[in-house]
This record gives sequence, structure tokens and C-alpha cells, in this order.
Amino acid sequence: MTRKLRNFGMYFFLTVVSFISVFPLYWMAAAATNKSVDVIRGKLLPGTYLVENMKNLLSIAKVGPAMTNSFKYAIVCTLVSLVVCSLAGYGFEIYHDKVKDGVMSIILLAMMVPFAATMIPLFQMFSSAHLLNSTLGFILPSISTPFLIMMFRQSARSFPHDIIEAARIDGLSEIGIFFKMFFPTMRSTYAAAMTITFMNAWNNYLWPKVIMMDENSITMPMLIANLTEGYTTDYGSLMLGVFLCTIPTVIIFFLLQKSFAEGITGAVK
Amino acid sequence: MKRKLLSAVLSVAMVATLLVGCGSSAEAPAADTAGDTAAPAAEAGSEEAAAPAAEGENTLTVWCWDPAFNINAMKEAEKVYQKDHPDFALNVVETPWQDIQTKLTTAATSGQLDTLPDIFLMQDNAFQKNVISYPDAFSDLTSTGIDFSQFAPAKAAYSVVDGKNYGVPFDNGTVIACYRTDILEQAGFTVDDFTDITWSDYIEKGKVVLEKTGKPLLSCQAGESDVICMMLQSTGGSFFDAEGNPAMTGNDKLKAVMNVYAELVKTGVLVEVNDWDQYVGSLNNETVAGTINGCWIMASIQGAADQSGKWAVTNMPKLEGVDGATNYSNNGGSSWAVTSNCKNLELAADFLGSTFGGSTELYDNIISTGALATYLPAGDSEAYAEPNEFFSGDAVSKKITEFAGKTPSNNTGVYYYEARDAVAVAITNVVAGSDVDSELKVAQDTVSFAMGQ
Amino acid sequence: MPDGGSVRHIHYKGGSQVKEKKKKFTLSQKHNATGWVFLTPAALLIVIMSFVPMVRALFLSFKTGIGANMKWVGFYNYSRMFQDSVFLQSLFNNFFYLIIQVPIMLVLALVLASMLNNKNLRFKGVFRTMIFLPCATSLVSYAIIFRSLFAVDGFINTVLIKLGFLNTGYNFLGHPWSARIIIIIALVWRWTGYNMVFYLSGLQNIEYSVYEAAKIDGASPFQTFWKITVPLLKPTILLTTIMSTNGTLQLFDESVNLTNGGPANATVTMSHYIYNMSFKYVPNFGYSAAMSYLILILVAVLAFIQMKVGDKRD
Repeated sequence: MTRKLRNFGMYFFLTVVSFISVFPLYWMAAAATNKSVDVIRGKLLPGTYLVENMKNLLSIAKVGPAMTNSFKYAIVCTLVSLVVCSLAGYGFEIYHDKVKDGVMSIILLAMMVPFAATMIPLFQMFSSAHLLNSTLGFILPSISTPFLIMMFRQSARSFPHDIIEAARIDGLSEIGIFFKMFFPTMRSTYAAAMTITFMNAWNNYLWPKVIMMDENSITMPMLIANLTEGYTTDYGSLMLGVFLCTIPTVIIFFLLQKSFAEGITGAVK
Repeated sequence: MKRKLLSAVLSVAMVATLLVGCGSSAEAPAADTAGDTAAPAAEAGSEEAAAPAAEGENTLTVWCWDPAFNINAMKEAEKVYQKDHPDFALNVVETPWQDIQTKLTTAATSGQLDTLPDIFLMQDNAFQKNVISYPDAFSDLTSTGIDFSQFAPAKAAYSVVDGKNYGVPFDNGTVIACYRTDILEQAGFTVDDFTDITWSDYIEKGKVVLEKTGKPLLSCQAGESDVICMMLQSTGGSFFDAEGNPAMTGNDKLKAVMNVYAELVKTGVLVEVNDWDQYVGSLNNETVAGTINGCWIMASIQGAADQSGKWAVTNMPKLEGVDGATNYSNNGGSSWAVTSNCKNLELAADFLGSTFGGSTELYDNIISTGALATYLPAGDSEAYAEPNEFFSGDAVSKKITEFAGKTPSNNTGVYYYEARDAVAVAITNVVAGSDVDSELKVAQDTVSFAMGQ
Repeated sequence: MPDGGSVRHIHYKGGSQVKEKKKKFTLSQKHNATGWVFLTPAALLIVIMSFVPMVRALFLSFKTGIGANMKWVGFYNYSRMFQDSVFLQSLFNNFFYLIIQVPIMLVLALVLASMLNNKNLRFKGVFRTMIFLPCATSLVSYAIIFRSLFAVDGFINTVLIKLGFLNTGYNFLGHPWSARIIIIIALVWRWTGYNMVFYLSGLQNIEYSVYEAAKIDGASPFQTFWKITVPLLKPTILLTTIMSTNGTLQLFDESVNLTNGGPANATVTMSHYIYNMSFKYVPNFGYSAAMSYLILILVAVLAFIQMKVGDKRD
């Protein structure tokens, strides 16, 4: 009896939390189908203005190129970043000693200064290196992040050391252990890291806004900023733009969530 | 299935790393030194990046931000100029104002002025600040043949620093008061009852409107000082004295403005909302009977197409017992600046001078987008005398151009944004019950502190 | 840490050398070198992309002047910020957010993650995705919604009036404490699902049989949560605590978009003020840099304490 009650309580709680979480997204989707003035007037139900909003959005903004750019930057950044940071996180944990723990602490400092303070020196470097308006310019500062390194370091902690020993006895090289043992075992961590890194790269705004000076290299968040400038905002088209900008992250999450939330770990043990 | 997908993707990533991961760590140090060895990595966009201003002899790059408004105006100007100069071309890059400010700051501070375009649009309120902070980034336009006397004096003054002109005025921020005639009628008023009035009249009549219709006359964003600034400029007042020192304490004009504002809120004639969307919402939703703002607000009002014919435009109230008080002011607006990176200053100046500073045809072409001129001759054209059905068939454009010529100029000073924010804090506290004098003292201290580098 | 030169040396030659000269190294030396090879690409990138600009910002923090004209002033910028009432207000606001919001959010995220880790739960994928959605939802739309929900004539006020708690609408965003609390609500709403992701993925490294054993032993869900989940997730909890501390002390988006720092600077954050000082006001980069370094010191001290408490290897 108590068990049933508890179950009911759990479903109820999760439903309420989910509803609260999803409401603004619903509103965004509904607003994308309404006329600007109706959005402002607080209409909550979906309307019939989607096609007009779409036409209007496409006429004032280059959605196609911005989407392509955003995907390009985010995918390249995510893949490179996962490899560089997981290698480092693994290295910090598996081969840890006093010096490496110290280095880890120093690396953490890199995320503690607001970006506004380091942006100008960074811009100077990138401008002299002719990296403005380029994919490399976009991704270089966000490939290696203390956050991801630490995330992999922390999860490497639960990677059983006897597996490593066994693999060494079997004659596997160190890099081989990383690729053949650690990497498949830690799929849930990789999936979670992938989701988060993709999202951060996709939403990155301040840096591209400084280094992208060419209309053909703009990203989706920049496109949305363009829509909100000016004396009047077309809220219908804006919300459609915002919606299009949100969807990729949601899809990535939905596809990957099974991988990071439903244990695969057991396979190795 | 999904697992396979994931592992396939990750395997690709692993391979990519061994290539890119090592590659980038080898390249990156080069980025720090001189950049010569990093060249192969930079093919993507280095040409534009290094010198966006130098694409061709007759091409100018322009940064501005609103496709329906100033971008359209720039493109129309291009067409006008191309009639006499067929080789001429513009490369307009849509860049929001915030981004222009950030890019300008970043480029000028890091000494990378060659990343700037030839021309960009600048908010008038930020003009003095930027020219004085980054004198190297701007070109002096004083003796380039542009006739600045043809612009509304208050408008041209925004982009003058030390007697030199750094900007060509563009859009008009002249203040208008807009009223819902149908709501006023219910309270027994017409628009004439709100024309050439004082703020005390406004408050008295506003109380009647509120009582009879339940609607306030005015709404504005809490924590913003737009209304304060408009009132202050209508008296010719400023937050600063002629030397640029903060002058908020002992400033009778400012004190009178603060008192009127507090009275407006207290009587309920003015309702404060929390953000811009709610402000526009209050106009479109008929929760208020009118508004006072820069004339560009008309575009937002016209968003509610079902209210056509119910709105009318007149001038704003003036302050009583204050020297130099008028019914005219300004809020917002922007001007074109030519950067120091412009390789062909003569061309840029001639282009701006013969379009925005000399072509009534251009202004006639863009009036449909709501872009009203501060170039005074444009106001005499027929297009400006056309009646506007939405605003009760009035020749609104002509009216606004007349208002523009009567507006007192605004001494923004360099620290204008600091002062605006400090006064916004002061008025928030005054509305909450604090004393005007002591709050102005705090505001003065805040700005003095910011100025004491 | 070793200077860049020696790191690069290992990086370029390490791979082949280690293999060739295997016999000359002892095993632990070899492992040590391998560790360095693994972390070198990431460390190098961080040095160039973060530390080099940070050192330049540090120099800047000892200078003052408008725009690009700067002169040396020693520690003036650092002493100056303690006389700056707006900055002190923002410091207070940040700490208030930190103390209230981070614990609530992390506990909630842990609870949700352990609920969703239940094998017998139905619609797990849907729940997970929905709870994750807030951090993917664009700031533009969620700021508009939060502001309109809490407006004087907004949804929350309507409900409170109908329920009889209020007579007239309360201006939540117009009063200092209620505005701060709305910022906290917004932060919890936005980042709980995000943190839940790390806990969920961390939970996969705990064998499910541990839970089943606990169930057989008659442990209540509450006991299981505190005795098994929390201790085993300790490395992940440390990660999220440090990240949230850092995120909250550098909070920018909500201050700018929800309240614009108002009413009367009651909700302004340090990062918001630093941004204004660099890009809205007459630029004073020396002072901005000095304030940024204060944030660094604060986060570093807190992270150091958290690592001391939570970063022990068993």
C-alpha cells in the first residue's frame, strides 16, 4: 500500500516538475504560430500564423547559412573537445601524482575569470593570427575546458584499476587501454559530455559575436540577436527563430539520453 | 541502434583528435607569436578579416542593424548614389548595435583597428563616449564638404566633439505624445486638450481619465530613465555642466523633473511595467490611453492594426516654472560614423553627404518604413505632407520634422550612460519613498566615482 | 607546473621515445610520462587560450585610463572596488544567490536523478528529456515568460489573488528581495536538469546490484539515497559543486535579462557590472580586470575548500 502511494507520489512529482520545465518551450512553440501582436497580448494557444512567420523570418534572416554554420562549429568543436579533454581527464586520474593534482588545480583557475576580461587579449591574438571569421577561430578557445577535463577526471575515478592491470598483463599499450578499455566503458560519460559540449558550443555567443565580422559566418544565436535589435520586434518570427535554434540541442539530448542514463557499464565488469 | 550511432561518432572523433588535437596544439603557439606560421590554418576568411574595408576601390563596408529600417535606408542610399556613380557598391553587414559597440571596443582597445568597416551606425547617446575613448577609430568629417547646418541642430550636436563633426545624422528620435482618441473621448477630452499643455495639466486631466476609464495615460519601464531624460532635455537641462562635470545636486531642472515623475506614479497617471515587451503590450492591449516616446514608437503602436484611426499624435507636456522649458524633446536616434580604417575617406564622405546629407529623394523613398529625417529640407517634400490614416489622418511626418527643429540640444557628456543608470536608481528609490535631494546626491557621488578613474 | 618548453618536448617526442627506450624507464616513470603525454594537448591549449590572456588581464588590472590610453597605478583598482557601492552591492547579491540557490538546485537534481535511475519507472526517457529542456530553452523566450508570469497583472499574481493570499497584484520584480528570489527560482529552474545529467551519468558507474542488495536488506529509499547514492556519487557531486559555485559567482544572463540589475541595483551581479564597465559605460578595462581577478580569487578559495573536503581518493 505504502509502496503504491510512494509510486503515485513519485509520478505526480515528476509530472509536475516536467510540466514546469516544459512550459516555456511550449509557449515558445505556440508563439511561433501567432502574430506578433497576439504574442505581446499574451495569447497562449497555438495560432495559424506559422507560415507567415516562416516567410517573414526567411526574408529578413539567413536561417540556412546560420544553421549550417552553427552545426559545423558545434560538431567540430564537440568532437575535438571530447577527445582532447577525455585524454587529459584520464591522464590526470589514472596516472595521478602530487604534481598532476597540482596542475589540475591550476587548470581549474582558467574558468574562474569572467570571459569579458580575457576577451580583448584573446581577440588581439586571434586577429594577428588571421583567425577571424574562421571555424578554427571559433573552436580554438573552447576545445579544452577545465570543466570537461574535470568531468572525465572525476568519472575516471570509478574506472576499476584491476581492468587496467589486467590489460597491461595482456600486453596492451597505455594508449590501447584508453581506447579499448576506458572509452567503451565510459560511454555514459561520453554521451553526457557530448550533450553538454554540443549545447555550450551551439549557444556560444559572446566570442563569435566578437570574431565573426562577415555575414556569411554568423551563427544561430547571432541571428536571434539580430532579430531582437531595432525599434520593433516581430515576436512571432523571433519565437520561430528561437524555436529553430533550440530544437537541435533537444534532439541531441533525446537521442543520447538513453546512452548516458541506462547503464552499459556492466558489460566490462 | 543508438549505441552504435554513438560509438561510430566517437570513433570518428578519436581519429580526428589524433590529427586535429595534435595539430592545433602545434598551431596555437604560433597564434601567440607573430601569426606567420599559422597562415595555412587561416585560409578560411583571412582576407576579409584583415581588411574588411578594402574590398575594392569603389566599395564601402557598412555595419548597421535593422533590416526593416536602417539597413533598408542604406540600401536605398546606395541606389540613389549609384545613379551618378555606377561603379559604386556597398557591402552592408547586419550587426546589432550591442555587437557594433563590443566590436569597436575590442578592436580599438587591442589596437586592431583594421578589423573595422568603413562606416557604421552609432547610437547618438554613445557617440561622445566612443569618440573620446577611441579618438583613433574615427575620421573627422568637418571639412569634407558635408553641410551639417541642414540638420536639426539638436540632432547634429550629438556627434560633435571639440567642435569637430564625427557623424552624419540619420534617424529621428523626436519625442511625440500619442493618445487613444476614443479613450480620451470617454473622459470628455480631445487631443487638443493635450496639446501645448504643462505637466500639471497632464496630471489633472490624467486623473480624470483614470477615474472615468480606469486607464492610466502613460506607461514606462521601471528602472529605466527614458522618461526622466526626455523631460530633462525638453527644458534644455543636462546631467552635466558645460565642463562635463556631473551636475545633479543643485540642478533645479532635474529636481523638478524627479518631482513630476514621482507625482505621476503616485497619482497612478503613470504605470510602471517591468520590461520593454510589457511596455509595448500595454500599448497594444489598450491598458493605457497613450504614451510619450521617440517617434520611432509609432511602428510598435501600428503593430495593432485593429486600432487604426484611434490614435493621434501631438507634442509632449512641458515643465512649469522652469527656465527654457519647451514641449519638445528627443529620445534615441543614431548617426553614421566613418572609421579611421576607411581607405577612401573622400568617397565615404561624398556618399554620405550627397545621400543622407543632401537627397530629399532618399528620405522620400524610406519614409514608408518610418525612417524620418533630421535633414530639415526633407520635411518640405510632398511625401512628408501625406496623411497617415492610422494616426487619425494627420500629416504626422511633417509634424514630427517641425518638432525636431524646435528641440533643445542635449549635452550628453561622456559619462551619459553612467548618469542615466545612476538617475534610474535614484528615481526608483524616490518612487519607493526616498527624498529627492539625498537620492540626487547619491547619484552625483556614483557618477563622480565612475569618473575618478 | 613544468614550463611550456619541457611539456612540448615530451609531447612531440614522447610517443616514440617512450616505446623505444622502454627498458631504461622504470614502470612508474613510464606511467608518469604517459600521463603527461595524455594531458599535454589539453594543458597546452588552456595555457594559450586562457592563461596567456589572463596574464595580460592581470597586467591590465594594475593600470587605469579611458579606452586604450592606460597608465600604471599599482593596486589602486583593487582598493577602489571596496569603496564602490555598486560593486559591493553586486558582491552581496552574488553570495546571496550562491548560498541559497546552489544547495537547493543540487539536492533537487540528485533527487530527480535517483528517481529517474529507477529501472521500473515508466516514461523515463520522456521525463528525462522534459526536465533537461530548461537549459536548452533560449534565454530570450524564458526571460520573457518569467517576467510576464511575475508581472503585476501576471499569472502568479492572479492565482495568489484568487486564492486569497493577496488583495492586489504584488510587483515581484519591483522589490529587492522578491526580485532576488525570482532570480534564484529562475536559476533553479534552468540548471537543475543540467546537473541531473551528470548525476544520471555518474549513477551508471554504480552497479545496480548494490541497490538490489540494499532493497533485500530492507533499506528504505531514503536510506538508500543517503547511504549509497550520495557517497558513491561524491566525485560527481564535487564536480557539480565547483561548477555551480563558479557559474553563480559569474552569473550574468539572469541579471541582464530578467531584472536588468534592478530595482535600483538590488539584483545586479559582479559579471553584469564588469560587462557594463567594459562595454556600456566609458570603458575602464583596468578596473574591470581587477574586479575579474577578485572573482577569480573568490572562486579559487571556495573551490580549494571544496576540493579539500571532497577530493579524497579512497
